[in-house]
Amino acid sequence: MFGKKKILAGGLVALASAAVILAGCASQEKEDYALAYYTQMSAAELAEHLIFEKGGFNLDQPTQEGTTVRERQTQDDLNMVCSEYRNRPPADVAGQIVTEARASMKYPEYGLELGDWRRGAELAWSGFGFRVGHNVDNHERREVGGNCYNCHSMSEGRTGGSLGPSLVGYGKTRGDSLEVRRFVYEMMYNPHAYFPCTEMPRMGHNGLLSAEAMADIMAYLLHPESPVNR
Amino acid sequence: MLKKALFALPLALAVGMPAHADMRENPADVLRHVINTLPDSVYLTQSEQNLMMMEDNPNLWTVEDGRELFYAERGPNNVSLETCDFGKGPGVLEGAYVEMPRFFADTGRVMDLESRLVHCMITIQGFAADDPAVRQRHGSNSDHMKLQSYITFQSNGLPWNPSLSHPLERAMRDAGEQLFYRRAGALDMSCQTCHEQEGKRIRASVLPSINQPAEWTKAISWPAFRVGHQNSRSTQHRVRGCYWQMRQGQIVAGSDASIALIAFWTDAARGQPAILPDMKR
Repeated sequence: MFGKKKILAGGLVALASAAVILAGCASQEKEDYALAYYTQMSAAELAEHLIFEKGGFNLDQPTQEGTTVRERQTQDDLNMVCSEYRNRPPADVAGQIVTEARASMKYPEYGLELGDWRRGAELAWSGFGFRVGHNVDNHERREVGGNCYNCHSMSEGRTGGSLGPSLVGYGKTRGDSLEVRRFVYEMMYNPHAYFPCTEMPRMGHNGLLSAEAMADIMAYLLHPESPVNR
Repeated sequence: MLKKALFALPLALAVGMPAHADMRENPADVLRHVINTLPDSVYLTQSEQNLMMMEDNPNLWTVEDGRELFYAERGPNNVSLETCDFGKGPGVLEGAYVEMPRFFADTGRVMDLESRLVHCMITIQGFAADDPAVRQRHGSNSDHMKLQSYITFQSNGLPWNPSLSHPLERAMRDAGEQLFYRRAGALDMSCQTCHEQEGKRIRASVLPSINQPAEWTKAISWPAFRVGHQNSRSTQHRVRGCYWQMRQGQIVAGSDASIALIAFWTDAARGQPAILPDMKR
């Protein structure tokens, strides 16, 4: 999918190169500033140029996933298209996104078992992991958290954010059927299968959470003894 | 220290006294005015304690330190910053900050306050780029926070009005808009994730919306004293912190990417009065 996008992106690079050549001509005509070529680019081209060609980010800094910031800043097709539509994709694009997200799903070999809800509680609360730049998160010292409470209320005892819907009593109201487990798992793995261009991170697809961590968080949401459901 | 505390506040308020008779010289008054235009904003009213403490904002002492520093003869060239042009002519500070970022013909670049200050410290005062006075950008005791606090205080209460007359200024603002909505990084986030809707929270913190100018002027009013940090923080520090939380890479302070983003977010508060210095959680 998004073949058109890739062609467009290629076109942008070509245009940017043309702009650089234009700027070269401009400087020969004694322009009073060297960055005139910025104005020859579209806003989107210039943004990419500022990130990747003009030292906008520390691109060579290593990341916890074993790549560099350059890869972090590079958009995949989903981020590119959702940014373009500012998270409100038209119906046909939304349909494509859902199809792609469905195809991306990977499931644990042992099936959709509930893990340890007590561990899940800690992971849902923890915001540790994947921060770079300054105060870099060392994944060898601490397990990566799920950041769930940043955006969701989940239990009465702890204050959660409100960017996402409240999940208080989630398992109590929905039960613990295989269908519910599948939905919860897929929402964590790649939520664009249900909500194209949702703000929620792809916790599984992006490699933020392991299968075990997702099983634990799923238990925290669905287990009857979990604070979520008491 | 006590003596300083006793006279710093009234002096700080007097220094910034603008020519217009109707100007609000007290940042707390500016904030109260903004709140009165949007009394139901959960973001603007989330910390009653901070509102009460605004009159005694510790950053007002940083403003005073900055005033001394700005007029002091410093650096290898032993000169003050009085000949530095922040866009309205050499040494003109009143209202300069609310028109930044802007294009500067002498560098051919659009510059924000911090990068302009770096430029002047290097070219006028002769500091080396890696001198701590230039390099250290964070914390109330850094020269940067002192100078930025003093300079921005001269724009307190004035409406944000970043210049868009030069084509490069418009190009940078528009690129900044792209950056604002650009999703990337481990969490697939953009600035839009947290700053599109009113009244939403990350954990207990209420977030400002870019679509609500009365909220947005407080959001972008830096330097501000951050109560949680017990330090004054800058615009560039806020930008860096957001990218860190989003799990994107580290944006480079003073890069054109950072200045483009700041150009866009300042434009989004256009017409709203700047609250300088502000106080934040």
